[in-house]
Amino acid sequence: MIKRKSSAFLFVLPWVVTLFLFWVYPIIYSFIIGFTDRQLLSKDYSWVGIANYTKLLSDQQFLLALKNTMIFVVGTIPLTTVIALVLALLVNKQFKGRAIFRAGFFLPSITSMVVIALIFTNLYQRGGYIAMLAEMVGYTAPQNGFLFDKATALYSIMGMDIWMAVGYYMLIFLSGLKSIPDELYEAAEISGASKIKQFFSITLPLLKPVMLFIIVINSIKSFQVFVEIFVMTKGKFETATIVYYIYEMGLTTKFNFGYASAAAYILFFIIAFFSLFQFYLMRKRNTAW
Amino acid sequence: MKTIVVTTIFIILSTSAFAKTTLSWWQFWTDPNIKPVIEEMVSEFEKQNPDIDVELTDLTWANGHEKIVIAFASGTGPDIVELGSDWIAEFAVNGHLYDITSDISSTKSEYAGWGMSTYNDKIYAKPWFLGTRVVFANRALLNKAGYDSTFAPVTFTQFKEAVYKIDSLDKNIYGFGSNTAEKHRLYKKFLPFFWSYGATIFDDENRLCLVASDFAIKALQFYKDIHDSCGYVDTQRGIEDAFLDGKIGLIISGDWLLKRIENENRKFNLVSSLIPGEKYPGRSFLGGEFLAINKASDKKEAAVKFIDFITSPDNQVKFCKANRSANPSSKTACQDPYFASNVHLQTFIKQMNLAKHPPVDPDWVFIEEAIEKAVEEALFGDGLPATAMLEARYKIEEIKNK
Repeated sequence: MIKRKSSAFLFVLPWVVTLFLFWVYPIIYSFIIGFTDRQLLSKDYSWVGIANYTKLLSDQQFLLALKNTMIFVVGTIPLTTVIALVLALLVNKQFKGRAIFRAGFFLPSITSMVVIALIFTNLYQRGGYIAMLAEMVGYTAPQNGFLFDKATALYSIMGMDIWMAVGYYMLIFLSGLKSIPDELYEAAEISGASKIKQFFSITLPLLKPVMLFIIVINSIKSFQVFVEIFVMTKGKFETATIVYYIYEMGLTTKFNFGYASAAAYILFFIIAFFSLFQFYLMRKRNTAW
Repeated sequence: MKTIVVTTIFIILSTSAFAKTTLSWWQFWTDPNIKPVIEEMVSEFEKQNPDIDVELTDLTWANGHEKIVIAFASGTGPDIVELGSDWIAEFAVNGHLYDITSDISSTKSEYAGWGMSTYNDKIYAKPWFLGTRVVFANRALLNKAGYDSTFAPVTFTQFKEAVYKIDSLDKNIYGFGSNTAEKHRLYKKFLPFFWSYGATIFDDENRLCLVASDFAIKALQFYKDIHDSCGYVDTQRGIEDAFLDGKIGLIISGDWLLKRIENENRKFNLVSSLIPGEKYPGRSFLGGEFLAINKASDKKEAAVKFIDFITSPDNQVKFCKANRSANPSSKTACQDPYFASNVHLQTFIKQMNLAKHPPVDPDWVFIEEAIEKAVEEALFGDGLPATAMLEARYKIEEIKNK
């Protein structure tokens, strides 16, 4: 028995070591250096208490990054969720070529974000296809392109992000729709319930766990948005988000580890708060639904 | 037993006597035209110094700085490293670079650019190549705008007039190539105007921040005027593409454009001229590539020898010919007939002597950010040049007083 236990321990040991070395240790270490003025190149550093946190809360760049992140989260999550649900409902119906539509919607989510961001950088540029399309419907595109204008840069990235993400969440909604028993709809039909009534009384309540999963996962992903910002604007034109700010402060030219770690922990607490709040709201509505 | 001990001592002594010193060198030149030249120089050095081997490691501009920082922070830095001029102070202040002041004293007068590698009166790196920016113009567009074939803008008024006239030729033709908010690039385009208007970042004692002086505000207003009215706004690459496609009249750029024109076999009627100024010629931006020695290296003597070899006038000319560039730090190399053979290379050599480098400051990255933010505010935001520069001054003062 002891031998079996020790061999099991040996099997999980590599994973446990990796977990502690590359996950638990950095998390604890970054929390500690968040209270220091640690800079990577400097050998000396000292304890500064909560100074990094208080400084961050009055740092205009950090506050702008926080605002941009909130705009990104609030702007993309509802739209992504609604569009993904609508697409899932559409491709759940029987029609010719359904598989092509399903694959087509899903394709962007398995394509590299860097590749998509580079393609969209071209599409959004001065005289690009999106500018031409916009002008066809009477909208005057920004003179220097969508990404070189404060008024449009962040929203353009959000648009691309929604386009890219809906396919993945559509697939998750689709799996949720498949798990709803047909008998419920048959019973509703017999009772004379309209399609809309069926949607709000059967589909939506039964999709609630799936929707919660999607909203939480998408929120976490949106709070951590980085690649598209890095590739498309490098945080310029008021597009810097918190993770981009952390990257700039801690990992590019500044290497201000203590300050960047404090910013990372603020993001962690924000994500934790929002995730718990979403769980709470969904649980509360469970009774209402 | 005695024989074994004597033999062992003999083997140890003989192997150590013939042991080679291996120098590690991290450098950024990966261009297929340049890398073989670098390798050839290294081979030549190894031939001349059979007791020294050089191990080359390539870095990229995309993440080279990060790699160097991490290597030095973890104590695994190379013996010799190529550094951009604005990185030297941050490594020097944290004690990672070897003070070469006494090692270079005999050859110091033969090279230019020491100001960029001197921090607290100590020299931490040897200038290898320098870099500056000049005005490039499209002769065909200048002619169309009514200028004769000898015209090049000398004063700011002439520069502005040329930009406006070219811009009015056609709605798809732009007078001036204006950089978008690109980090580490925008300020290099603005500083030539800033300095040529007589502005400075700090006073002579490097204490008082002067970025909000009348000169500085005038410079930003001038830059904003040509940007707002005639600017083709894009990334550096985008501006150069449009310029070479004949869509832009005047741009500010470096000598890499000459190489590009040659590599792409472009038929282009190019004009290169010095930065205009209130007093002609103006002052351009000066930067450069430097070779520094890791303070923790135990092969400093060999490293100094190698740096002297690589930066020798002959090797600099060899490099410039391969790179089609005009940026040697060696004053002797600048006299080489190669640089006189091309009018554009001559422009760079002349401008290099009239260029100014940013202050050598470990906080430069933050100061640069403050200046860039002010320019961005004025060009792309709602900020007036005066308020934007005042904001920059407050920010820089905060950085310096921290």
